[in-house]
Amino acid sequence: MEHYVAPLKHWTVAMRINHWAMAISIFVLIATGFLIAYPVTISKGETWLKFSVGEIRFWHLFFGVLLTFLFIWRLYLAFFSRFHADWKDLFAFLNIKDLIHQIKFYLLIEKEGPPHRGLYGPMQSLAYLGLFGLIFLIIITGLILMGAGYHAGITAFIYSILKPVERLLGGLAMVRYIHHVLTWCFVLFIVVHVYMAFWYDAVLKEGTLSSMVSGYMFKKEGH
Amino acid sequence: MDDYRKYVSKHYNRLLEQCKVRLDEVEREYPEPREDFQALLKARGISRRSFLKWTGVMTTALMLPPIFKPMVARAAENFSRIPVIWLHFAECTGCSEAILRSSYPNVDDILLETISLEYHETLMAAAGYQAEKCLEEAMEHFAGKYVCVIEGAIPRGLNGQYLRLGPKGETGLALGKRVVSKAAMTISLGACAVWGGIPAASPNPTDCVGASKALGVSTVNIAGCPPNEVNFVGTLLHFIMFGSMPPRDGEGRPLWAYGKRVHDFCERRPHYDAGEFVEEWGDEGAKKGWCLYKVGCKGPYTFANCPHLRFNDHMSWPVMAGHGCIGCTERGFWDTMAPYEKPIQEAAIGGGERTIDNIGIILTAATAAGVAAHGVYTAIRKKDKNQEEQKQEERE
Ligand code: HEM
Ligand code: SF4
Repeated sequence: MEHYVAPLKHWTVAMRINHWAMAISIFVLIATGFLIAYPVTISKGETWLKFSVGEIRFWHLFFGVLLTFLFIWRLYLAFFSRFHADWKDLFAFLNIKDLIHQIKFYLLIEKEGPPHRGLYGPMQSLAYLGLFGLIFLIIITGLILMGAGYHAGITAFIYSILKPVERLLGGLAMVRYIHHVLTWCFVLFIVVHVYMAFWYDAVLKEGTLSSMVSGYMFKKEGH
Repeated sequence: MDDYRKYVSKHYNRLLEQCKVRLDEVEREYPEPREDFQALLKARGISRRSFLKWTGVMTTALMLPPIFKPMVARAAENFSRIPVIWLHFAECTGCSEAILRSSYPNVDDILLETISLEYHETLMAAAGYQAEKCLEEAMEHFAGKYVCVIEGAIPRGLNGQYLRLGPKGETGLALGKRVVSKAAMTISLGACAVWGGIPAASPNPTDCVGASKALGVSTVNIAGCPPNEVNFVGTLLHFIMFGSMPPRDGEGRPLWAYGKRVHDFCERRPHYDAGEFVEEWGDEGAKKGWCLYKVGCKGPYTFANCPHLRFNDHMSWPVMAGHGCIGCTERGFWDTMAPYEKPIQEAAIGGGERTIDNIGIILTAATAAGVAAHGVYTAIRKKDKNQEEQKQEERE
């Protein structure tokens, strides 16, 4: 029989809101993004009464800008969270011994993972750092695509800064293509991420899944 | 707002003064016009009214306020004073064709007819050593004053020996460097001169590049395959009016002409927003003039003013004619915009049918299968562990 001690606070409210808002944004962005890449033809009805692609683009841009702000907020939390600024934990993979140990654990060679040192395990830190990179890149390419079609206000200002990046990447067509490739990286990340959350929940029984809602993890005695 | 307006009017008044000074200078220092432009207009049946209309259109095309209309008219009258040396390198001469041919003359065409071409390999009567002499004389006579127009890419491979021109077999590279060094302004006309164009398309065996890169000078890039004559005329008018290059974007293209995307003011755009797409050539949507995105239009990635200006006496342009834009004003379009009749994400990777979406689907399926196997194995191992524990308990 295993004994549980009092629940331990793991995630702040800010972190949880940020997590789920990002999750929703990314789901909507993937769906609307693919609908922009493969728009659906609507043959019936008068042209002037229809605005389907226009609306899809609107929601894509809405959640795209939301994601941009969420990402800035997340970076702020990583460095300045008063509960636990986790930017150091994102480099847990630098501990090579732990990293190898962790990979063995995931490959089901080891029965136990390495000891918990920070918020994230070594592989987890690598995955999240990669995700941050992905979000950063998709935001940059997204802002370029947005600026190319809208020539006023702050969008135009950001575009004027990012214009050299567009050139560097090989023109707007390549920016769009990279944006599309990155989308697939998100899909892959989500598959693994969701599975790992369930797996940890089932194997360690520390409440990994519910922690992103409640904020609390449970620690087994003796750990 | 008032301050802003005052600032703007101040700015433009200053610009207008500069423009007047510059035009005086042109009239003083450049040779007499070859032809009396107003007389020529009359002879060609262009009324004063049409001419004034044209100045209005040109002024707005150059993104100048209406007070500049008289200046544009004056620049047009002085158009034939500007000596032009026109060089051909690795190209098809399609740009010359597009710019110098027309079925009925409008003001742009008459302007181009009066252009003072000191040297143009395709159009001049002289040949061989005689042509070479024309070039030398023009370069000497108008040093620092002439405009050099370059059409075609410059091969750099084998030290430029893939392209040799003229009676002495000079390489394109050497000729270009020589002519550009004494030019007041250099215009790269067409995709090939801008970034290398089709001669520079992958794998580019002759190492073709655009004039600006090959010759190490900054050029005004009139991109397009072929470019629009109005963009060319406008750039020359700008040179006459201000004595300098127009403001350019990162690709060296004049901002007034290449500042916005084709997709931003395409006449089929309302159909795009409404979700009305041509699915295949000749279908119902094609007959109704719907958006060509799904049959490969690259308008969303292409900066150009084709929808405004159109081609062939402003009659039509590719999207109007029913085929998607192929993005010919963009760097590397031959490679980056392919396939031309499919959306961009359907480009084949490494040949064959492999697209990024196919790869994405396969990877996602493989990942899903991988985690599923992992899950099953974890469950089996756990069951084993539980059974072992049970056995142990029983033994105890
Ligand atoms: C997880 C995040 C995102 C995903 C999965 C995503 C996905 C996509 C996809 C698949 C496309 C279509 C590309 C194509 O046609 O090949 C697209 C287009 C686009 N995305 Fe995103 N995107 C994301 C984030 C963003 C962000 C943050 C912005 C801007 C702030 C943005 C702005 C755009 C724009 C402007 C377009 C082009 C729309 C058009 O030209 O009509 N995206 N996105
Ligand atoms: S035809 Fe091309 S440029 Fe025109 S709206 Fe459709 S995608 Fe855009």
